[in-house]
Amino acid sequence: MMSKAAPKFYDVDMPIRSFVTKRLIGVRSENSVQEAAEKMVEFKTGSLIVIEDDEVVGFLTDGDIKKKVVAEGLKPDMPVKEIMVEDLITADISTDIKEVLELMAEKNIQHVLIEEDDDIVGIVTFRDLIDIERQKLETYISRE
Amino acid sequence: MNILHISDTHIGNKSQFNEDSLKIALKEIGDKDIDILIHSGDITRDGNLKNYKKAREIFDKVEVPLIVIPGNHDKRSGGLSIFKDYFDSPDGVFESEEEIVIYVDSAVPDTDIGRVGMVKFDMIKEALAENSDKSVKIVVLHHHVVPVPKAGRERNVLSNAGDLLELFLKGDVDLVLSGHRHYPNVHRIENTVFVNAGTISDKKTRYGDINSYNLIQIKKDRLKVKTKRVDGSKKVKHFPRKDKRIFYHFGDKIFRIVHISNTFISSSTRFLHTHFFNALKNINSLDADLTIHCGGIVEEGINQNFELAKKYMEKFTTPIIYTPAGRDINYLGYELFSKYFGEMIQSYRDEKILFQGVSSAQYDSLEGYIGERQREKLFERLGDRKQSFKSVFLHHNILPIPHAREKGLLEDSGDFLREVVDQKIELVLTGTSSHPSAVKIGDTVVVNANSLSSVYQRSRYGNSFNVIDIYEKVIVVYEINSLWGTRKILGVWERNGFKKN
Ligand SMILES: [Fe+2]
Ligand SMILES: [Fe+2]
Repeated sequence: MMSKAAPKFYDVDMPIRSFVTKRLIGVRSENSVQEAAEKMVEFKTGSLIVIEDDEVVGFLTDGDIKKKVVAEGLKPDMPVKEIMVEDLITADISTDIKEVLELMAEKNIQHVLIEEDDDIVGIVTFRDLIDIERQKLETYISRE
Repeated sequence: MNILHISDTHIGNKSQFNEDSLKIALKEIGDKDIDILIHSGDITRDGNLKNYKKAREIFDKVEVPLIVIPGNHDKRSGGLSIFKDYFDSPDGVFESEEEIVIYVDSAVPDTDIGRVGMVKFDMIKEALAENSDKSVKIVVLHHHVVPVPKAGRERNVLSNAGDLLELFLKGDVDLVLSGHRHYPNVHRIENTVFVNAGTISDKKTRYGDINSYNLIQIKKDRLKVKTKRVDGSKKVKHFPRKDKRIFYHFGDKIFRIVHISNTFISSSTRFLHTHFFNALKNINSLDADLTIHCGGIVEEGINQNFELAKKYMEKFTTPIIYTPAGRDINYLGYELFSKYFGEMIQSYRDEKILFQGVSSAQYDSLEGYIGERQREKLFERLGDRKQSFKSVFLHHNILPIPHAREKGLLEDSGDFLREVVDQKIELVLTGTSSHPSAVKIGDTVVVNANSLSSVYQRSRYGNSFNVIDIYEKVIVVYEINSLWGTRKILGVWERNGFKKN
């Protein structure tokens, strides 16, 4: 017998598209680490996109600042360029959630930049993915 | 991709059906290199066999793929079964290599209302998921999702429009095509363009308009909507396909607003005391310039609630302005509101910034309505104001809100929305339906606040309020949890006139 359609939890075969944060806060590569940290505080974000000549050239997390500057006893007046991660880890916006999770696990990262037609169009964090389950339940409840 | 979008042909007898108008539209197919013809419903006048036969005859001559969905008229007196015989499935997915068109029957037989139930909702969701990599995504529905002007008391006829809107925005749908209102209208919300077609061949047009149709061109970076009247006159709108996503140039911060709603202050357990006071402490530490309360101050408009509310609201250290909800002015509230909180219509202004309150609440009713006269006066006054930043705030929603039915929508939301977008009012704050939302429509950012401190709320993140930071170049909207103070960004948008860095 067919049962009433129940919500499918953690539908990992779905493309990541619906879970992407489509706004990214950026910092210029020549800005200081301190300025970057201030931006993270102002916008309450754990990561920034690094921009040079209107192009994305790197990525910076609060972890990078802790590890590469504070813990090393360095001054935060150095440019962001010196501590940013240049090898961007990206996934296409149509990639399945499962593959994005695998990528995070494999590379031991919490943030993945999302691309569409070779442009960076958003970001997905591990936290966002944890929220999916709750979100699905909410959507289910809200419909008839 | 070139689309010819027609709607509401209402094919029937000659007294009402203007076949010549339809011929003008269909002639575009040969002339303009059209790839596909999309008909967003109400093919027939009465959904009877004779109407359908005539319709089939006309559309048989069309030499491009035809997508057609039934409207409410096509389902009259069991017309849906004839629709299936003469056309095809009323719902489905049309796929090509680069494009996908999802078409859904939203009509409910023998009524005017529109609905997309769970099965169809999931069908759209799955089709969007499976076709995520298509470069053009189109949805066709007879009824509209975004309120259209001149709809009278009908406001938004799709009852779960808020959930659909969220689905379309999250799925990056490029274009949503509708009909039904017999009045052409175009809006862009985030990166999705919503197009309503007028009627192409019903002699019964609305508001002195004449028959019209749309030509839509989708290119890699642009989308163009050309609305053509059968007399040859036309209106063209161009839209970019994708807005800017990375923000790093903000300019100085000009103003910070705390945006709250539905505090529902009372001595009952439905008022969440701890949520309120945690939020209050947090708000007082935020160094905001102004707090705007979008109504629902008290649970009911009775004296003891107002006394309590006065006592609690005085603890806010930033200036506060208010707009009432229906419940603030029920019972004796109409008199008590003015006694405790001042004028029904409040505003804040300096040389640069204007926040204008609008009274949408009705005494003893949850319905919201502004009315033509108040609206006309309001927008005339706003037009005269010289401030570089203009905002209006009201209790009722002007856009459908996810997880909430259409009840919270202003009855004349379509007209109000058209005005704020056309006047490029930069910010609209609303406060009902108890779910946060922030989207940009045209050049206007529309933000709704969740309930700050009532058990009646709809967000999985819990009760919350918004903080809106206006910078020289951008607007940033945050949602902050009332109880925990956790914060997340609801959106960042470039301001008008600062489109280029
Ligand atoms: Fe119609
Ligand atoms: Fe209709």
